[in-house]
Amino acid sequence: MQHVANVTGTRTDARAAVEVRGLSHVYAGRDGAVPALEAIDMKVPAGRFVVIVGPSGCGKTSLLMMLAGLRAQSSGAILVDGRPIDRPDPSRVGVVFQEASLYPWLTAVENVEFPLVLKHAPRAERRARAEAMLKLVGLDGFGARHPHELSGGMKQRVSIARGLVQDPPVLLMDEPFAALDEQTRMTMGHELLRIWEQTSKTVVFITHSLTEAVYLADEVLVMSARPGRILDRITVDLPRPRTYQMMATEEFGALRERIWQQIRTAP
Amino acid sequence: MRGASLIIVRLGLLAAVLLLWEALPRLGLVNAMLLPPLSDVLAALVHILGRGDVHASLGVTAAEVVVAFVIAVPLGAALGILAAENAYFGDIFKPMLFYVFSVPKSIFLSMFILAFGIGFPQKVAYAAFSTIFIVIMSASAAVESVKAEHLLVARSYGATQAQILRRVYIPSMLPILLEALRISMIFNFTGVMIAEMYASRVGIGRLIADWGENFEMAKLLAGVILLAAAAMAFNEAVRSLEARCSTWRT
Repeated sequence: MQHVANVTGTRTDARAAVEVRGLSHVYAGRDGAVPALEAIDMKVPAGRFVVIVGPSGCGKTSLLMMLAGLRAQSSGAILVDGRPIDRPDPSRVGVVFQEASLYPWLTAVENVEFPLVLKHAPRAERRARAEAMLKLVGLDGFGARHPHELSGGMKQRVSIARGLVQDPPVLLMDEPFAALDEQTRMTMGHELLRIWEQTSKTVVFITHSLTEAVYLADEVLVMSARPGRILDRITVDLPRPRTYQMMATEEFGALRERIWQQIRTAP
Repeated sequence: MRGASLIIVRLGLLAAVLLLWEALPRLGLVNAMLLPPLSDVLAALVHILGRGDVHASLGVTAAEVVVAFVIAVPLGAALGILAAENAYFGDIFKPMLFYVFSVPKSIFLSMFILAFGIGFPQKVAYAAFSTIFIVIMSASAAVESVKAEHLLVARSYGATQAQILRRVYIPSMLPILLEALRISMIFNFTGVMIAEMYASRVGIGRLIADWGENFEMAKLLAGVILLAAAAMAFNEAVRSLEARCSTWRT
């Protein structure tokens, strides 16, 4: 493992939207130091859709928090858009969280413009931008509704719109569809791919679902149980745009099986 | 329309109670000495509202209520927020506050008289004391009701501490805080009344106690109507504000 010295200001690879080098994380638990993540290396070229799968508690959410600048790693470097990230930077990274992350006292459009409010963007400009994002995610005309008046799928569409509103090159998604029913989840996956193709963002997506992983990804990173390591990197070269029919193909099944074997047999 | 019919039934019930209040003593079915007819009570209300000593008493009582409230609410809110935000402070003081909260505050009334004498400071101190615990507990609960995900979202979009306070903490806490304001006023008003009725020279509570002792039931009930109306007006005003700020709570 090469040691990464101070990389501030160096643009090592302009084409990698997200780059992680030798990242490890240890946290202080009840009975001493607990290794959570070990020697994580990843390089996500701009515009790629990468999915991270792994068992519960493998540290994938921690890794995502670090990519978002919300949590500090013990060692190693994270570069987003060629520059290190050590604090949240919404101009480079948008985050879509698990369910219930919308503000219930704000309407859908106010939730979407929230990041722009924090940046003191002029009212008319941020409203127009938020409306455009709602249109992009298929919620044109729903802006005035409060979250409790929206279905689970619609709420996550609003979350995606909020993640995209500042037009960051990278979108991080932490099990965004985990709380949805199977049917809505499939539809949302499909919708996400449409939005991704339309916006050409780099996406790092975390999930438990192997089917979702294969369906969405260009590349699947399989993580081990704690301490989380990357066990396998699987390129999914199913053609795009993806269709539901592909899930029934032998190729799809073989990829899914390969990931399953990795997770199942991991120590 | 279910809502409209409900209102009609409620008003009908109110009218029936008022009618019985008037009729039962007049018909001799209840002792008119104990429960004077409504019309007599209303006449007494008009009479006392024209009296200078009643005006003075109302002024004193209102001042006591307001000053005690203005002391207890911000102080209690600050302590409650501190107890919720600072784990060390919370661990030390929360159990203690919890125990004292359960004790009826009226048993301390004599101590307040000994410490402050009989007068304005004693009323304010006692009322603030009987109010502050509920404010501390509610403020602490309000802070704890703020969702960790909501804070995380704000941080991920680069919110400053001041923005997190204004855009996440305050809107999250507002419904609980308004409810706390309403309930604290009940404690506060009760505190002032008890202190006045127990030992006092002025104040509407003193007058009501005097009327009771002198068996002037029409005046006593007129005083009750007056205070009940004031308490209900405050309660309803805060409740309507609460309803406007809590439409999102499901």
